[in-house]
Amino acid sequence: MTLLQLTSLRKHYGAVAALDGVGLSVAAGSRTAIVGPSGCGKTTLLRLVAGFDQPDAGSIVFGGRVLVDGAFQVPAHKRGIGIVSQDGCLFPHLTVAQNIGFGMEAERAVKEASAAELMDMVGLDRAMLSRKPDQLSGGQQQRVALARALARKPRLMLLDEPFSALDTGLRAATRKAVTDVLTAAGITTLLVTHDQAEALAFADQVAVMRAGRFAQVGSPREVYSRPVDPATAAFLGEAIVLPAAVAGGRAESPLGVLPVDDAAYRGSAEIMLRPEQISVTGGGGNGVSGTIAEISFCGPTSDVRIALGGTDISIRLDIPSREALAAGDQVTIGVSGKAHLFRQ
Amino acid sequence: MLLGSSMSSIAETSVPVVPRRLPAASSWTLTIAVAVALAALLPLGFVLWATVATGWETAFQLIFRQRVGDLMVNTVLLVVFTIPVCAMLAVSLAWLTERSDLPGARLWSWLAVAPLAVPAFVHSYAWIGLWPGLHGLSGGVAISVVAYFPFLYLPVSAAFRLLDPALEDQAASLGLAPFAVFRRVVLPQLRLALCGGALLIGLHLLAEYGLYAMIRFDTFTTAILDQFQSTYNGVAAHMLALVLVLCCFVLLGLEAGLRGRRRYARLGPGVARRPKITKLGRWKYFCLLLPLVVAAFSLGIPALTLGRWLIAGGAGIWRMDEIGLALWQTLVICLIGGIATTAAAVPIAWLSVRRPTRASRFLEGCYYLASSMPGVVVALALVTVTVRVMLPLYQTVATIVLAYVVMFLPRALVSLRASIAQVPVELEQAAASLGRSPGNALWATTVRLAAPGAAAGVALASLGIMNELTATQMLAPNGTRTLAMAFWALTGEIDYAGAAPYALLMVVFSMPLTWLLYSQSKKIAGR
Amino acid sequence: MKTSSTLPAGIAALAFSVLALSTPASAQVADSITIYNAQHEGLTKEWVDAFTEETGIVVTVRNGSDLEFANQIVQEGANSPADVFLTENSPAMALVDGKGLFEPVDQVTLDQVPEQFRPANGHWIGIAARSTVFAYDKTKLSADKLPKSMLDLAKPEWKGRWAASPSGADFQAIVGALLQLKGEEATAEWLKGMKENFTAYRGNSTAMKAVNAGQTEGALIYHYYYFGDQAKTGENSGNVSLHYFKNQDPGAFVSISGGGILASSKHKEQAQAFLKWVTGKGGQAVLRDGTSYEYAVGKGEASNKALVPLADLQAPKVEASTLNNAKVTDMMTAAGLL
Repeated sequence: MTLLQLTSLRKHYGAVAALDGVGLSVAAGSRTAIVGPSGCGKTTLLRLVAGFDQPDAGSIVFGGRVLVDGAFQVPAHKRGIGIVSQDGCLFPHLTVAQNIGFGMEAERAVKEASAAELMDMVGLDRAMLSRKPDQLSGGQQQRVALARALARKPRLMLLDEPFSALDTGLRAATRKAVTDVLTAAGITTLLVTHDQAEALAFADQVAVMRAGRFAQVGSPREVYSRPVDPATAAFLGEAIVLPAAVAGGRAESPLGVLPVDDAAYRGSAEIMLRPEQISVTGGGGNGVSGTIAEISFCGPTSDVRIALGGTDISIRLDIPSREALAAGDQVTIGVSGKAHLFRQ
Repeated sequence: MLLGSSMSSIAETSVPVVPRRLPAASSWTLTIAVAVALAALLPLGFVLWATVATGWETAFQLIFRQRVGDLMVNTVLLVVFTIPVCAMLAVSLAWLTERSDLPGARLWSWLAVAPLAVPAFVHSYAWIGLWPGLHGLSGGVAISVVAYFPFLYLPVSAAFRLLDPALEDQAASLGLAPFAVFRRVVLPQLRLALCGGALLIGLHLLAEYGLYAMIRFDTFTTAILDQFQSTYNGVAAHMLALVLVLCCFVLLGLEAGLRGRRRYARLGPGVARRPKITKLGRWKYFCLLLPLVVAAFSLGIPALTLGRWLIAGGAGIWRMDEIGLALWQTLVICLIGGIATTAAAVPIAWLSVRRPTRASRFLEGCYYLASSMPGVVVALALVTVTVRVMLPLYQTVATIVLAYVVMFLPRALVSLRASIAQVPVELEQAAASLGRSPGNALWATTVRLAAPGAAAGVALASLGIMNELTATQMLAPNGTRTLAMAFWALTGEIDYAGAAPYALLMVVFSMPLTWLLYSQSKKIAGR
Repeated sequence: MKTSSTLPAGIAALAFSVLALSTPASAQVADSITIYNAQHEGLTKEWVDAFTEETGIVVTVRNGSDLEFANQIVQEGANSPADVFLTENSPAMALVDGKGLFEPVDQVTLDQVPEQFRPANGHWIGIAARSTVFAYDKTKLSADKLPKSMLDLAKPEWKGRWAASPSGADFQAIVGALLQLKGEEATAEWLKGMKENFTAYRGNSTAMKAVNAGQTEGALIYHYYYFGDQAKTGENSGNVSLHYFKNQDPGAFVSISGGGILASSKHKEQAQAFLKWVTGKGGQAVLRDGTSYEYAVGKGEASNKALVPLADLQAPKVEASTLNNAKVTDMMTAAGLL
């Protein structure tokens, strides 16, 4: 069942189009991530859903209720949508308890009791309730912000890069905690991030955004393995893109003849492989041979550029740092799995 | 007079973190800072001494009498009516100019500060020009509001600029309607600015003489002047001064209590979004009424009355020899006072930035406390002390300059401190490593680089001195006649036309300094 | 030693320059005097300008009010920078004289003024005079409704109907006369009634202006404010008329403006010259022809023609040299007027 339906949303700031006709369906209980480089319009989209800004055109329907349609607009405070932003946005003049109770309409005692429960839920010590926000660490602030948003029992939670300000170690832990809480509460979630790994790990639906449009929407595995174009492929991770002649589900490429994921296509095209599909071995063996043109040692992996034999094409990838390889060495390149074909 | 103290609460948040590595202590800096603090605390000491010298019985008789009660009622009512009206006006205007698409917002913002260029007693003069019967509490409150609301508008509008609009979005997402957001999120964050500005206005209400004398509204300050004119520094005047000082302490205590300990610094590393601008839509023209009416009362009335008297007086009121002399004397005394005030502020400014110890904070507190004392108390103290103890200083420029230093030091301190904080301490250390003594190193680096801040300090202190009437009247050396004194003498003889050129000159000279204040507040807020 | 710190040196230099500037200008010129002036600034300026032109003696004027200066001179004692003290009323003179701080005035000068306008001891001298009047709104009060005596103004029927400027030396002199004429008890009673009845204004001109504007029916002030305004535009006295109490009533009190030379003066010769000039032909002519409208007191000197002659005022006999202002301010403070 669709909880949130965005249709043809447009938003201009002066001459710049921040959103250029965006549509998206979010299923109830799902986790959707919107990922894209900074300035692609993803935060604008979130602000439109939250009700902080008004679109120039398009509609937003939430749980069967029209929030935005043309000039009609439900104000933010009547939407019942929670949001946790990049820096938590706690009210500096209130204690943790007052922050959590801020949006609740209940008696003081009820508020205090629920604040304490919410602190347990987000994994914070109840003793912190009386503190002011500036006495908390960044990760703690984010958890309080989540608790505050949860206190209103929203059906939809918006997360605006909530982990990006945290240290790398804290980030994964906080993300895991937040995901668990939201899943347990059965709250539909819309995450905005510029970190593709975060998006892929978090969501069951990923929308890749570029220049005010969705380039692709799909499951994490789908957008990663079967991106719509080379740019999307590159954004979501390392990609080796090669020219090939394709026929009958097989591609003739500089890496030899490879199976592709499109049986119908005939003609020349670009194909894509992810680095994890490629193995590099020293000396002979099965596969295409190449020469190491450059190599630089980076600890567990080494960054190599391999000139493919018989072509002027070279590929660049990280390989595990094993036996000493050096520039000029001959290697054999093996490929596993299917190559992804970009239809032109 | 006390402009500094409210501006400092804005400035403090923007002063960069003090470097941990401190230059070698230079004891003379501390010595001078302590000496200036002692001089600044002289008026307070005087009030205590006067009370003890009077004897409890006489003091009791002079304090607990009907007249003091009447004055107390007047003072309390004045403060209780004026400050909330000023606060509402300042918040509304600041919201309109900073957070709405009001047409001409920048112009209105400047016009909301501009009334500061008109001395309070000139406001009074302008109003009774239009309504000769104006008197008492209602008149006092009305004129006080137009004369002093900019002291609240300045910090409140700066605070509006510093607010993080994301907090307001967040509150809306938590189910708060716009007005509730304003009440529960915006207003609490304006609290520091509101408290600082309100204190500043409160202290002005207690200290002002000319404004209330002109419209026959008795306050402690006017009553002290009455006593002074009847008995010079008599015991009754001393006891009124004691009560006045106690009133100041009550205000200071109230402010400290309401402000609380905490600063509402912005949390997290994110960059503040541009503030949310509310579209007024069809309310636009209705909202324009507010700044328009305020400007009409705070600027239009002075302009109208002054213009009328200037036209009515014609060429005859421009007695250039007298006006020229008064102008020259005023400028000289402003310059000497401004430079002395700034020089006196250098040691403590340097200490508070470079060596922020508990002792330096305490010293700084002494300066703010001393400058909260009304001019009439400062003058009464200096008159008494010089005539009884330090006769060589009696009726000299040195004494009146000392009064100005006590009254206006925070203005110079705020400017100096902000600019010293921007000079890296490494420069001083580099100079020291090149063989300069600590004092010399300070002079060659920080003092030179902080010169613009010092210039602003001189300008702000001079603005205060130019429009100062109470202490100047009581302490001016023989033969001195400033613009304010001449203006006051002429209005006393109800020669309103003759007083107009002096009022005009005071306003004209205050304009650039008021502009400086305005642009400084914009800069503090990072724009 | 090159390491001497420039900053403290700079501050010291500034302090010295301030001190250098601070020496009173008059002390630097031998042929000059300093006047503590409580008279109207305009009148004294006319006197001083003409005096300097005639004698070449430079005069520095400090303006203030009668009792402020009197008390100030007492506190300054032997160190007073003042050479001459001019007042609007006598009590301030009596106060300074009571402390023995006056230098006797030269006999030549004393001889220029009749005895009733100077104290018997000759320690100071009358330089001008002014009469108490009830300035009333002629559109509201007819002659039969005017108070017969100043004492009537303390009666309940005058509640809320009249004005005065109690903080001024002028009014305090009137109370001083009342005290001398009627005694302490009657004066205290009258002040109590006054506190109930009157409206306080700051300055006599302001009080008269209020009468003219219809804010109050009458004001107890001195006569010359009315004539001064009439001579200008009359805009503050168009509706005003003067009522002289006469009949030796306390309200018919004629107050003597005094001039005295301080015993501590280092320029006594010039100071004597000044008083001689003010009470002589030149000084008294300024009263007659100028815009002050105060009465001339010199022997054979005429006052301005517009004034009711001094001789017709039927003033009560008040000994100016014993008017006790300290008592008056105490009583007024006790009555809640100050």
